[in-house]
Amino acid sequence: MMKNKDDLISQDVFDHLVDLAAFKLADDEKDYLHEQMNHQLDAIRELEAIPLPEELPVTTHGVEYGKDGKPALRKDEWTACENTKEILSQAPDLEDNYIVVPDIPTTELE
Amino acid sequence: MSVEYEAVIGLETHIQLNTKTKIFCSCKADSWEDAPNTNICPVCTGLPGVLPVLNEKVVEKAVLLAAAMHAEVQPLSFFDRKNYFYPDLPKGYQISQYDQSLAKGGYLELPVPASADADGKGYIRKVRIHKLHIEEDAGKTKKEKNRRFVDFNRCGVPLVEMVTEPDLRSADEAGQYLIRLRQLLRWLGISEGDMEKGNLRCDANVSIREKGSSILNTKTEIKNVNSIDAVKDAIRKEIERQIREVEKGNTIKPWTLDWDDNAGVLRMMRSKETEADYRYFHEPDLLPLEINEEWKKEILKNLPELPLERRARLMTEMQIPEYDVDILTGDCDLADYFEEAVKLYKGDAKKISNWLMNDVLRMRNELGVTMAEMKLTPAYLASLVRLMDEGKINITTAKNLLPKIQESGKDPQTLVEELGWAVVSDDAAIRVVCEKIVAQNPNEVQSYKDGKESLIGWFVGQVMREMRGKADAKLTQEILREVLGK
Amino acid sequence: MMTDLSALSALELAELVRTHQVSAEEVLDANLARVEKVDGCPGALDADLSPEDANRVHAFITHTNDIARRQAREVDARIANGEAAGLLAGVPFTVKDIFCVRGTPSTAASRILENFVAPYTATPVARMNAAGGVMLGKVNLDEFTFGSSSESSAFQPSPRNPWDLSRVPGGSSGGSVAAVAAEEGALSLGTDTAGSIRQPAAFCGVVGMKPTYGRVSRYGLIAFGSSLDCPGPIARNVKDAALMLQVIAGADKADATTAVKPVPDYLQDIEKGVKGMRIGLSPDYFRITFPDPEGGEYVEQPLPQEISDAVYKAAEHYKAMGAEIIEDVPMPNTRFGIPVYFVISRVEAASNLHRFDGVKYGYRTKEAVRDLTEMYRHSRGEGFGLQPKLRILMGMYVSAAQYSEQYYQRALKVRTLIRCDFEQAFDPNGKYKLDALLTPTTPTPAFEMAAVYGDSVMMQYADQLTVPANHAGVPGISIPAGFSEDGLPIGIQLLGADFNEATLLRMARAYEMTTEQEDWRKKKPAILEGK
Repeated sequence: MMKNKDDLISQDVFDHLVDLAAFKLADDEKDYLHEQMNHQLDAIRELEAIPLPEELPVTTHGVEYGKDGKPALRKDEWTACENTKEILSQAPDLEDNYIVVPDIPTTELE
Repeated sequence: MSVEYEAVIGLETHIQLNTKTKIFCSCKADSWEDAPNTNICPVCTGLPGVLPVLNEKVVEKAVLLAAAMHAEVQPLSFFDRKNYFYPDLPKGYQISQYDQSLAKGGYLELPVPASADADGKGYIRKVRIHKLHIEEDAGKTKKEKNRRFVDFNRCGVPLVEMVTEPDLRSADEAGQYLIRLRQLLRWLGISEGDMEKGNLRCDANVSIREKGSSILNTKTEIKNVNSIDAVKDAIRKEIERQIREVEKGNTIKPWTLDWDDNAGVLRMMRSKETEADYRYFHEPDLLPLEINEEWKKEILKNLPELPLERRARLMTEMQIPEYDVDILTGDCDLADYFEEAVKLYKGDAKKISNWLMNDVLRMRNELGVTMAEMKLTPAYLASLVRLMDEGKINITTAKNLLPKIQESGKDPQTLVEELGWAVVSDDAAIRVVCEKIVAQNPNEVQSYKDGKESLIGWFVGQVMREMRGKADAKLTQEILREVLGK
Repeated sequence: MMTDLSALSALELAELVRTHQVSAEEVLDANLARVEKVDGCPGALDADLSPEDANRVHAFITHTNDIARRQAREVDARIANGEAAGLLAGVPFTVKDIFCVRGTPSTAASRILENFVAPYTATPVARMNAAGGVMLGKVNLDEFTFGSSSESSAFQPSPRNPWDLSRVPGGSSGGSVAAVAAEEGALSLGTDTAGSIRQPAAFCGVVGMKPTYGRVSRYGLIAFGSSLDCPGPIARNVKDAALMLQVIAGADKADATTAVKPVPDYLQDIEKGVKGMRIGLSPDYFRITFPDPEGGEYVEQPLPQEISDAVYKAAEHYKAMGAEIIEDVPMPNTRFGIPVYFVISRVEAASNLHRFDGVKYGYRTKEAVRDLTEMYRHSRGEGFGLQPKLRILMGMYVSAAQYSEQYYQRALKVRTLIRCDFEQAFDPNGKYKLDALLTPTTPTPAFEMAAVYGDSVMMQYADQLTVPANHAGVPGISIPAGFSEDGLPIGIQLLGADFNEATLLRMARAYEMTTEQEDWRKKKPAILEGK
C-alpha cells in the first residue's frame, strides 16, 4: 500500500520530534534535517510496500545461537569496581561526590 | 437526591528485590548506607559502550513472586527499552519489559477484616494483576536551591513492577493490599517490602463512578506516598475531592498528584515526562529470556505454603479465629512455631494460640530474636500448657516459668522440680493459711459476711501471696468459702 | 630496514619479534616513522584546514605513542625473560575511535565526546593488548559510524584514500583501512554495521572481515546499531586477518549477546584450498535495485562491468582450484536490505545516543542555561553533528508509538525474509548447499571526497551488497581483487553461514595464493610510492 507522495513529515511532527530528541537547532540545520527526513521517507515507503506473508515472525537477532550457544545468565556475586573515581572524573560538574545538573523544570500548580 | 459513588482504585507497586547484586551489573543491590556514587561501575552509570548482563537470581525471585500471585510464568519473555530523559537515568532509557513480560495474569484474594468493613462483617476482595514484570531502578536525585545532585548508587537495583487492575474499592482495601503484599514478600524472602526504606514503592490510581456502574472514568495518579498510612490518607482525600468536583458539575482531569505528607495534602505536579512517548522496542543487548519447565520447577520447589493459604487452613483445620490467625501468620517463622507446638500439644489449639499471641510474642519482641532462635521451643510451650491442664501448675506459675525456660533452655517439668514450684494441692496446708488470713483480717471478713461476695477474690489473692502463688486457686477458694462460712 | 618493517605482515612481525630477530621497539619505531611520513596532522575539532592536508592520509585522531612504547617494552621484556609474548607479539595496530580504551580520548569522532577519556577498555582491544599487540593510536571514522566515507567526522581533516588522496577511504572504518593500507600498523580493529569494514576495505585494497554477530564481544564498542554492530579485523592479507580474529573472537561475560561457541584455530587449515567446496553466484548481487524516485517502481541497475568482471574472474580461479560454482542462486530479498537497515539502525541509534546528555561525561554546553531541559538541548544541539541528528530524528519518527507497528515491527519481519535467503543458500539439506556466496563488495570503487556526502540516500544505497549480512548475522569478508580502470582498488566479497569464518578465510586465502604472482599485486598506494 503506497502512501501518498504528499504525505511528508509535517512541521508539527518535525518540531515534536526535535523536542523529543532534546535538540536545539539552528534554522538552517532544521531545514536540512527536515528535507533529508522527507527524502528518507522514500526508503520507508519502500519498506511498507514489501508484501509480507501472514504470520511472519520478527527477527531481533539474525544469528542462530542454537541450544548451547546462548550464554548463561550472570551469577549473583558482588564485584566492586576499582576505579569509581575515574568514572566520576569524567563528570562536567562534580560536588561532594554528587554529579550536579541544573534543576528540572517542574511547576507546582494547585 | 444525591448519588452514591464508589471508588475505583488500582495500585502500581515497585518492589526492590533483595538479591546481592544489581540486575544488570555486579554492583551491590543494597547501598542504603553507602556514600554517594561509590556503588557504581561503567555499566550502571551508562558509560558509552557498556552492555547489560542479566542476574539469574532476579529471574528466580520474580518467578517466585509470580507463582505466589497465581500468575503464569511465560516460557519466553523480552526486555524492552523505555526511552526518556532524566538525570537519574544514565542511559537515557530504562531496561524494562513492555508487552511480553515475565508473567501474565495473577490475583490476590485479599481478606478485608471486619474492622475495615463498613458493614462490619469482613469479606474477600479478589484483586487481579494487570502486569508483572522486571526492570531496573534509577538513581536518586536531591534538590538543593536550583541544582540537582545525582547519585547513581541505586541505579540498576532490580525491581519487580506489579500493577493491579482497578479492583480495589476503598482506601482501607488499598492499605490491606499493601500489608498482605509486604507479608508475602517477606514470607517468600525476596524483599523487605518496607515502604519507609523505599524497597516497596506505591503509586495509586483513583477514579470514582456511580455505584453499580461498570464504566471506568478518568483517573488521577497519586505519587510520593511513602507509607501505608500515607497511601490510605491520600486515597481518602482524593476520593473526597473527586466526589466534590463531580457534584459541582466539574470533570475530573487526568492529573498526576504529589502527596505532601507533612501538610497532609495533594498537589498537582506536572509529571516529569509530559505526554511521554517512550518508544518501546526490544532491548537488542539482551537475548530473549527463556524460562523452561525444568528451571521453573527448580525455582518453585522451595515455594512455601503462602501466607493467605496457610491462614485459611489454620482457620478451618484448627478452628482458630481470624484475629488470632492473622497474628500467627504474621511471619513464616511464627506460623511454623505455632503449628509445631499444636502438633506436639495434641489439644485445643486455641490455648497454644493464646499463649503465643500474648506472652511468648512479647518475649520474642523484647529479646529481638526470631521464633526459630527462641530457647522456649514449641515442644516446651506444649509441655507448659499440658502441665497446666494437669493441674500441676497454675497460671501465675506458668507465666513466671516462661522467662526461666528461655534463659535456661530447660524444659518446664525439670524447672518446676528444681524450683519447687509445683502447685500445692494439699488441703491441709492451704487450710492453715486460709485460717490465718481470715484471722488476720476481721474487717474484710465482716464485709464479706455483710454481702460483699466479691471480696472472695481478695482473700484468694492474700492466700496466694502467702503461699507464693503455689496454691491451687480453685481449691483455695473452696476452702476459703468454707472457712468464711463458719 | 626501518621502513621495511612497517611493510611486513603481522604474522611475519610476530615471528621476528618472538625469535629475537627484531625487537618490538624497533618495529614500533619503524611504524612511527611511517606514520610521521604519511599521516599528517590528526583530525581535530574546529581545525584550520590547509591545502597541505590534501597530501596526507590523516588516519588518526589520537596518537598513543607513550602507550605503544610501554607496550613494546613489555613485550621485549617478556621475550627476554623467556615468557610467552602472545600471538601478536610486537605487532602495531590501530583502533577505530569508536572503542573505549582506558586512558585515551574515546570520541566516536564526535564533539559530544570531545573530552571523554574512557575509564575502561573494550574487550577486543584488551585481548589484542594481552596478545602482545602495540597500540599506535585511535583512528578516525564517520561520526558515531554514521556514514560510508568517514567524511562526517567532527575531527577534520577526515581520512583519505592512500591510493588516491583525492578520494575517500570509505566508511565508517575509514581511518582503520587507510592506516593499514598506508602501512601505519599491520592491523586495525574496525566495526561493521552495514558494511563499514568491508566497503572501506574494498576501497583501499585491504582485507576486511565482518565476523558472525556474537563472535566478537561488543563490550566497549560505543553502540550504534546494537543488533547489527560487529567488531572485526582489518589487515593487508588474509592470514593476518585470521590471526587477529583468533585473538579477539570468543565469548565474553560482559556481553550477553556473544555466542558460547568454541573458537577454532583459524590458521590451521587456511591453506588447504577449496577443492570440492560449493561457491554460489547470485544475480541479485550483480545489480543495484532501488525504487524509482518518480513512480516508486523498482529499478535495476547492473554494476559496472569491471566490478562484475572481478567477481567472475575470481569464480574462474575457484573453479580452476577445484571448487564447484553454482550460478543463479536467488537472494531475492537483497533489495530490501537498505530500507530495513534505515529503520532498525535508526531506532537503535536514536536510543543508544540518548545517554549523551551532558550529565555524566562528554560535552556539556558552556552557555548559561535556565534549567535541565535547556542544558540537554544545548549540549546535544551543539555536540552532535548533522548526521547523528538526522539518524536520531529518523529513529524517533519510526519508533514513535503511532508508527511502530508499521515501520519498526515491519522491518524486523522483513529481516526474517533476508535471513531466509541465507538460510536457504547455506542449508546443507537445501537446494544449493553452498559453502559461500561470492559477490562484489561495493557497486563502485572509491568516490571523490565531497562527492556524495550530503545526499544521504545515495550514500546508503551503496551498502546494498554488504548490509544483508548484517541483518542475517552471517560472516563476510572483503578481499582485494585487482584495480579499476582508474587504478582504484576493487574488492570481492565472500559470505558464509553462521560461525563459518574458518571456511571464508580458507577460500579467501586460496584466492590470494592463486593470484599471488599477478601484476596488480605489485602495486602500492600512491602515498607510499616516492612521496
